[in-house]
Order: sequence, then structure tokens, then C-alpha cells
Amino acid sequence: MAATDYSDQPLADRIKANPRPAAIWAGVFVALIALELGALAGFVMALPYDVITEPLLGALPSVISGPLGGVLGVVADAGAAVDGLPTLLDRSVIPNQGYQMPDGSWENTFLGLSPAFAWALRLVVVYAYAFFVLYWVWRGYLVFREHYRYAAWTPTDDMIDRLRGHSWGTFGLVVVFLFIVMAIFAPTVSPTTANANIENPYSHQVQYYDEASGSVQTVTVGAANIASKSQGDSQNFGIGSYDPHDRFHPFGTLISGKDLFTFMAYGARVSLFIGLVAITIAGGIAVSLALMSAYYKGVFDLATVLVSDSFQAMPQLLVLIMLSVALGDTWISEIYSGAFVLALIFGIWGWTGLWRAVRGPAFQTVENEWVDAAESFGERADVLMRKHVAPYIVGYLLIYASMSMGGYMIATAGLSYIGIGVQPPTPEWGRAVSVGQNYIISDSWHISVLPGLAITTVVVGFNALGDGIRDAIDPQSEGGSADEVAATGGGA
Amino acid sequence: MNRLAYLLKRILLSIPVVIFGTSLTFIILYAGPIDPVSAILGRGNANGPAAAEIRRKLNLNEPLWSRYFDFMADLLTFNLGQSYVFSPSTPAFEIVVQFLPRTMWMGAWAVLIPLFIGIPLGFYAGLNPNTLGDYTASFSGIVWRAMPNFWLAVIIMQFLSSSQGATVGIANFLNSLPAVSGIQPFNWETWVVQTKVIGPPDLSQLLGPNTTLGLPMPNWENLLAATKKILPASIVLGSASMGNEMRIGRTAMLESKNSNYVEMAKAKGLPPRTIVWKHIFRNALIPLVPVITAEAFVLVGGSVLIEYVFAINGIGYVFLQSMMNGDIPLASALMYVFILLLVIMNIVQDILYTIIDPRVGFEGQ
Repeated sequence: MAATDYSDQPLADRIKANPRPAAIWAGVFVALIALELGALAGFVMALPYDVITEPLLGALPSVISGPLGGVLGVVADAGAAVDGLPTLLDRSVIPNQGYQMPDGSWENTFLGLSPAFAWALRLVVVYAYAFFVLYWVWRGYLVFREHYRYAAWTPTDDMIDRLRGHSWGTFGLVVVFLFIVMAIFAPTVSPTTANANIENPYSHQVQYYDEASGSVQTVTVGAANIASKSQGDSQNFGIGSYDPHDRFHPFGTLISGKDLFTFMAYGARVSLFIGLVAITIAGGIAVSLALMSAYYKGVFDLATVLVSDSFQAMPQLLVLIMLSVALGDTWISEIYSGAFVLALIFGIWGWTGLWRAVRGPAFQTVENEWVDAAESFGERADVLMRKHVAPYIVGYLLIYASMSMGGYMIATAGLSYIGIGVQPPTPEWGRAVSVGQNYIISDSWHISVLPGLAITTVVVGFNALGDGIRDAIDPQSEGGSADEVAATGGGA
Repeated sequence: MNRLAYLLKRILLSIPVVIFGTSLTFIILYAGPIDPVSAILGRGNANGPAAAEIRRKLNLNEPLWSRYFDFMADLLTFNLGQSYVFSPSTPAFEIVVQFLPRTMWMGAWAVLIPLFIGIPLGFYAGLNPNTLGDYTASFSGIVWRAMPNFWLAVIIMQFLSSSQGATVGIANFLNSLPAVSGIQPFNWETWVVQTKVIGPPDLSQLLGPNTTLGLPMPNWENLLAATKKILPASIVLGSASMGNEMRIGRTAMLESKNSNYVEMAKAKGLPPRTIVWKHIFRNALIPLVPVITAEAFVLVGGSVLIEYVFAINGIGYVFLQSMMNGDIPLASALMYVFILLLVIMNIVQDILYTIIDPRVGFEGQ
């Protein structure tokens, strides 16, 4: 519900009349793109992606670009695939995989820094860049609002200002943003990549300094992983540790010796993918049904209530189990290791709550005079609903969507924990909890505990963001109960 | 519209809901890609005379629509069919009756415990808004709710079962505390009564042989053991409810506190204690009713994972097993039972709501 433009003068003319602010803003954009142009070009060249994920992830940009706004949209269009996005700051610019010589100096790492510092530096640079892009988008809105918008004030301005002043909501936004950046830039922020470390460890190599022979040796990542297993009290590579092959593990290793941080960064990708696809499906169904039942009322509304009740009368988690198992052997579950099936199920089963959240506001909005007026002008029903009703229910949709994202994450992790849902080798946080569960009271507690803490933090973030949006669009409301259940993932 | 008519309307409206839900179950399980024959005989053995015999027995050769009508008729007459993988040739109804009590036992405690923790905490926070206590309670409620249940269950299960014997890591640290202070290390398994951390609770001996006035008396020791056994699972299962109840309780308390009738009561000079208990507390309970009953949805679905972690053989566990093994009749029977449970719970909630708060009216949705 961006600022509505009532002007008869096109935006281009207004920019022509006062080009300076827009030029500065566009200049920053060029600089931002220039920073990563090499990386982008490199990607287009090195195309052969994972054969299965590529066509699917290729579809993601259009999904992402809506909610995430211009940034990702612009970058995504340039990259033409999600796999093109991540190397915004190529990991080879600040390499963190090297080996330590007997005198303590590091070879092959960035400026001879220790791998821990090199990795942390890359992490900081990526997040700095991401936050700058976020700020740039925000400036874009401000520039538009100040210089180019016809209306001096819209209700949206008040909502955005209220969200800005809402510290709990802002906290949620920051957490969600951290999570999204981690997911998108997973290959860059990770100390290693999923392909090298998790999927094909035996076709990648790592160099290390062998003290016995006094020379630099090369082993496959797979062999190095075997030497870096975290298996409780007998052998453990915990938070911020180096393994025998001088690789740095910020969050330690899994029981298979694979890097946990890499696992979690790619796992964030899966969660984000499922969440976005599901919310797009569910939101689409919910909004169309809400608008239609607000327009046609009567029998149509009653039918929708009954269908929605029927969907809700089936316990969500059990339906998820039922459908994941039923669809387990079909081609559709092959896509993205089962993540796509989960997203579909969440979407098809998730609309009921969303629909309930926007049905009331839709009914209220239809009562307004401007709807009558538009109707008397002879506007078509679909245009009427889209233009004059839909913008007013988007806020309510966002509240519930934010809460649901948390719920989807919990439910996905829960299903992966019991072994249905996202299958190996695609990383998923719930599976890390499962593999590390017997080591919780040992030295290797990090395997189960860190993913759980990460889920909790992200879900708190989504819930806080939802609270913030609710207070922003409706400062009088004191929290609803309808969306509370959505936040808990059906009890997973 | 009087209450009886409302009840009738409510029941009438729930009939299509049940039919729709079970039809959907039928479509997913019977018209979907699951092949029951290969589930029974094992993959790759779905041909030959044995398979043909099973097909004939299960009516798989009949057209789908006729099987659908048979299926619906069977369910509506509560003829739930027989399990054929999980426990071959046992009526599904028998399995439900056998496994349901454990889930109910867990669910009952999972509803009760949050009530006695969440609501008081929420009311406390609402009575003292914007204090340190309020922030602490609210924040822990939010975090508590956001934690995945299965993860919480795993952590609690591991800590409780290792309170003795572990000498390393975090457990080592915990065990070293009593050594310093001189207290015995805490051991959940031997605390009060001897129970294991995982495994199903023993519900068979809850009522003792002693009778007073001809009524069976509870067998206190078994009751205590069964309660203690289910306690960790119930707390985890109820954790989300607790967070929700706290949030809603706080809001409700705040709203009632600032309402006109409380001002009025203050102006009349009523003592604060009377105001809190008689005027604020009772009215603040109203919005909590749908929250509490809505937890049923979470409890029914969420029990699967908790039962999995704590190895409690309830119906959630049976459902998971039946789905994993392709035991379609059992799975569909269980789904039917779950749908019925939720629909009944929904009706009870609506009725309760109209009794507690007549303003809601019988017309409102």
C-alpha cells in the first residue's frame, strides 16, 4: 500500500522538474551495483547450478521481490537466479581457508589473518553491505515522500512512523533482516560452502600443514571432515574452534564433522524459501476469498466459513505428516529435497487463519462511501476490490503473515526432526537438533542447542515484527487472539 | 434465539465440517499415491496372488466412488475398520481406546499447568504494567512460546535423564554445584517416586483396590508416579499455551483495570482487594476462554512430536506409526477421531463463551 498517486502528472515529469534528489539516490545505487558487478558477472558465467534446485530457485526472485522490496528485486533480476544473489561479496575476495605454518603465520588467508578473523571480517562486510542496501531503500522512500509524491501526507506515513518508533517491532525487523541476509548470502557468510562441505565433500580439497612430514599436504574435504567429528566427550570441536586441518568452525562441527555454521546458513535458506512460497500461496488464496466474500456476502461467505472450518478441524501437524508421507514417493517431493512439498502444504492449509484475519477488515472497508461511489461509477467488481478495498487489508495480512512465518519455521523443523519433511543433503535446522540430541549433556551440546536457539530467536523476531505492524496499523488494538496460535506452528 | 436453538444450529453447521474433513482425508489417503498393498507386503511385492487376495479383501478393485461411500458410511456409523500394518486385524477402535488414555492424561496436565502458571503471571504483569516484573514475565512468555516444543522436549529429556552419572560438559558443572554447597545433587528419576524419564506412564493402577463407601479410592502412589512421569511432557506441550495465556491475560487485565466500572468501584470507595478480585479478575477471565479452548488444536496436533521424544505411546505416536507404515485404515480412523474431537471442542467453546459473556450473543460468529 505504497503511497497512492492522485496526480495527473506522471512521476517521470516530477523527477525531471527536480532531478537532484533522485540523481543522488540513483548514484548510490550505481555504486552499490558496481561493488558486486564482478561477482554477478562471474555467476552468469559459472552457470551450471544444482540441476534440481536451479529451475525452482529461478522462480524465487519473483516471489521474493514483492515482500522484500526493490533491493532484492533489482539484484535478483540481474542475477536471474537465487544462486546468483549470494556472491554479492565473493568469498574468494576474503578467503578464510588456509593453513598455519610452524612459525604461527597463516598462508592463503586474507592478508595472512587467522581464519577466524578473516571469516568474521567477511561476515561484517556482508552485513554492512546489506544494512547499507536496506538504508538505501529507506532513503528512496523518504526521497519519494519528500520530493516527488503528489500527496503531502498519507495514512501510510503515520503507520511507518509508528513502526519506526516501536522499539519491539524494530527489534523484530532487525532480527528478521539478519535472518534473511544469512539465508540469501549463505555461501558468502559461511566459512565453507554447502557444496564443498555437505553435498560433495569428496570432490573438494583442503590444504593443511602436516607437522610429521613438515610440508603442506592436500586431503579431500570428506577425509578432513572425518577427523573433525564432534562426538561428545571423546572428541569435540565446539564454538569457535579449529580442527586438525586448520579449518575454522564458528559454531563447531556436526557429528559427521561438517561445519555447523554452514549447515545453519543453508538451512536458513530452506526455511526462508518454504516460508515465502507458503505465505504467497496462503496470502493469495486468503485475500481473494476475503475480497470475494466481502463483495458477494451471503451464501458465498457462509460456504467459505464452512470450508475454512473444515480445514481448521483437521489438526495442522497431523495433516502435514499425512500429506508429507502420502506425497513422499512422488516427483513433487524431489524438488528441493521436499521443501517444495512442505511449502505447498503450508500454503494450501495456511490460508484459513490468514483469511480470518482479513475477512473482518474487508467487510468493514466495503462499507465505506468511496466503495459505493466507485460502484456507482460503474467500476468492475475486481477493479473495485483490488483498488479500493485490498490496500486497506494488506496491513492485517502482514501481521498474520509475520506470525505465520514463525509457525512455518517451527513446523518445518519439527517435521524434519522426525525424519519427514526436508531430506538430506539439504540442511534443515530441525535435523541438526535430531542428530545432536544425544550429545546435549556432553561437550558437543552445540549441535542441538544452537539450531534450537536460532529458531527461537528468528520466531521471536517474526512475532515481534507482527506485534509492531499491528501496533502501527491499529494503535488502539491490544493484541488479538486469532493470530496467537499461528505463531506456534500447530504445536510442533 | 434461545440457547437450545443456538446449540442445534451449531451442531447442524458442524456436520458439513466433519464430512468435508473426512472426505479430504479419504482423498489424500485412498485416492493419493499411497499403495496399501505394497505397504502390507513390502515394496516390490505388490503383484501376484497374495496381492490380489489383499486387493479383494480391501475392496481395492471397486471404483473409487463406491469405496468413498462405503468409507463415509463406515465412519459415520463408527465402524472404524481394522488396522492392517500397525497391529494386524485389530479393530482401529480398539487401538484408539487402548492408546488414547495416555494422550488424554498428558493433554489434561498440559491444559492445567499453564492455567496455573500463565494466567497468574499474566494478571500479575497486567496489574503492574511497565515494571521490571512485567517486562520479565512478558519477555519470558514470548520466548517460551517461540521455542519449538520438540526442541524444548529434547533438552528437558536429556537433562532429566542425565542428572546422575554424567561427569562432563554442562552436567558436570551442574553436578559440581551441590559439591560446593553441600546439598545432594538433584536427581529427577529418584525424586519423590522412582520413575524413568521416557516411556509411557502406567495408567492401569490409578484406582486402588481399597474402597471407602463402595467408591474406588485413588491409588495415591501410582497416581503420583503417573503424574510425575507425564509432567515434563505436559509442561512442554503446554508451554505455548502458557505464553499465549500470559499475553492475553495481561492485556485483559489492563483493559479491565482501565475500564469505567472499575473507576466507578473506586469512586464508591471499595477496598482495592474487592476491586481486583470481584471486578477486574472476573471480567479479565472472559477473553481467556477462547484462548484456553483454542489450545486444544495445538495440543491434539502437537502431541505427536512430544510423544515421539518422550516415547509415550499415545494416539499421536500411533498416528505417526500408521502413516509411516502405510496403515491407511488406522490413519483415517484416527484422523476422523481427531476431527470429531476438535469439532466437539469448538462447539463447547462457543457454548461456554455465550454462557460466560452473554453480550457475545447467539447471532455473532
